[in-house]
Amino acid sequence: MTLEIWLIFALVLFCIGLYGVLARRNLIAILIGIELMLNAVNINVLAFNHYVAPDPAIGQIIVLFVIGLAAAEAAIVLSIVLTVYRQRTAIDVEDLTELRG
Amino acid sequence: MIPAGVVMIISIAGAVIAVAARNIVHAVLGLAIALGGIALAFLLLNSPFLAAMEVLIYIGGITIAMIFAVMLSPTGKHEPGTSIGRRIAAGLVSVVFFVAVAALITSTDLAPATETSPAGTSDDWSVQAIGRHLLDDYNVAFELLSVVLLVAIVGAISIAARRDEDQDPAIDDEVEA
Repeated sequence: MTLEIWLIFALVLFCIGLYGVLARRNLIAILIGIELMLNAVNINVLAFNHYVAPDPAIGQIIVLFVIGLAAAEAAIVLSIVLTVYRQRTAIDVEDLTELRG
Repeated sequence: MIPAGVVMIISIAGAVIAVAARNIVHAVLGLAIALGGIALAFLLLNSPFLAAMEVLIYIGGITIAMIFAVMLSPTGKHEPGTSIGRRIAAGLVSVVFFVAVAALITSTDLAPATETSPAGTSDDWSVQAIGRHLLDDYNVAFELLSVVLLVAIVGAISIAARRDEDQDPAIDDEVEA
């Protein structure tokens, strides 16, 4: 197993998540895409940590912070999703234009 | 030990289900499969503590919260059909991004780092080392993260629990109907 293979694997996951964010129109489906992208980045960090980093604890700490921030972000997004879906019948993100400037 | 190829196939298959499934509950289950594969990848990358955290926080926390959000929202389970042009455009963007970054990865010489971390060079993979770093060199970031999590909890509760008085009652009836 080389570093390049892990990086390509993380890149594949990231591109799948990117496709999900761009193609889907349901808010929770978009959140799923974002989580996939965040996890691809985590794999990337840990692969670099495993193969080239001078201190293996640092990469694990970075990934811990990313996981914690992703959990906070997911909590906020899910509460927004609940509020939006309670207030309206349309579920297409294209119709959510209340915050348009 | 599980071969890495199997782990990658599990993760990518779960990710494809998560992105392609029309029913959001199926998509969340696909995400859980992908996250399980990613936790195995963390194991292979010599980080068993992070693999455990991945299972606990992502599979046990975030996907369950997503399922709750889907079940609690009256219209959240289904999705309007995505136009074929939108899918082609999204796929095109993803493929272009993949080709660009893959070319970058294969053409770069990824040599081990020559500089050292603030804590110096070591090869200590233990959980004790992570804990020592968290409470020593990275203590400020650690405490800031706890404040961020507290703010996120309070914010999530206040957003989700707010009842709008000026909400149109007609929409409310439609949702309940």
